[in-house]
Amino acid sequence: MSELPAENPQLIKRLRDPQTASEAFSEVIRTFGEPLYRQIRRMVQNHADADDLLQNTFIKAWTSLENFRGEAKLSTWLYKIAINESITFLARERKRLNLSLDDQESSLIHTIEADTDIDGDVLAARLRMAVATLPEKQRLVFNMKYYDDMRYEDMSEILGTSVGALKASYHLAVKKIENYFDNHD
Amino acid sequence: MKKTTDILSRIERRDGITVPDGYFDALAERIGRRLPDRNMAEAPASRGLWASIRPYIYMAAMFAGVWCMLKMFTIMAGHADLGSMDSNPVLAEAFANDDFMLDYVYDDISEWDILDEMMEDGSIEEAPFLNEPENDTRLP
Repeated sequence: MSELPAENPQLIKRLRDPQTASEAFSEVIRTFGEPLYRQIRRMVQNHADADDLLQNTFIKAWTSLENFRGEAKLSTWLYKIAINESITFLARERKRLNLSLDDQESSLIHTIEADTDIDGDVLAARLRMAVATLPEKQRLVFNMKYYDDMRYEDMSEILGTSVGALKASYHLAVKKIENYFDNHD
Repeated sequence: MKKTTDILSRIERRDGITVPDGYFDALAERIGRRLPDRNMAEAPASRGLWASIRPYIYMAAMFAGVWCMLKMFTIMAGHADLGSMDSNPVLAEAFANDDFMLDYVYDDISEWDILDEMMEDGSIEEAPFLNEPENDTRLP
């Protein structure tokens, strides 16, 4: 619902110091926990899976902290891990349940319909269903741009795609959502 | 597009998602309990020149050792000049001997040891595919 948390150079310094790393990492979890959770949850839809994947994201980040050289933003790096976790999870679920992409789309919509961890906002729930009909990568782009109001430059770094392609993808996503609302009135 | 834009503005970026009470408050502690120990003291701040070239030096030393051994055999056999590899009968005989190759050439160099060494000191990325998703996240 908001932009990525601002980068804190002191926090990165503390993460690199073995004496303060653990405490600094708790701060990372407190700062990035919610935006990452929402990003993951909007992909996998249910709370239990999102919770597992969020924990895995932070555990992976912690165990590969040496690989974070500070060339990218901490938020970008964490988002990358979270997105990889989500995409890998969805692919694994497709394989495990022998689902096609279309089947998985229906399954995600069903999960949204059955979701009890929602605030009752009907329009917001309908938008989530519309977004669930988008192809996986377009869904990521839409979620990052619309819900997180992320800058295209940051998205480009996370997804490894040009800003132009991201803008086109977002535009297409909005168009498909328009069609969804037209056909589901 | 107008209608959707209206809907998107009306929703005002709300996703309607909620979490159990206190979920985010307890998150850091819950994840903290699951974090494995990391021996950060062993993590080098930056890789020195020696660490970068060490595997190559080892490899070169092994080849030099093999070459010296062959040279010694040549001298012992009364041929002071190794000449070219193709025309050297001692080398040809040595390389044609499977036992010699297995005992002195192949067994001396374990490519896995070299790879392990290189991964350990960061000369090559350690299993770069581990952090990659099964599907490429890049957009078409």
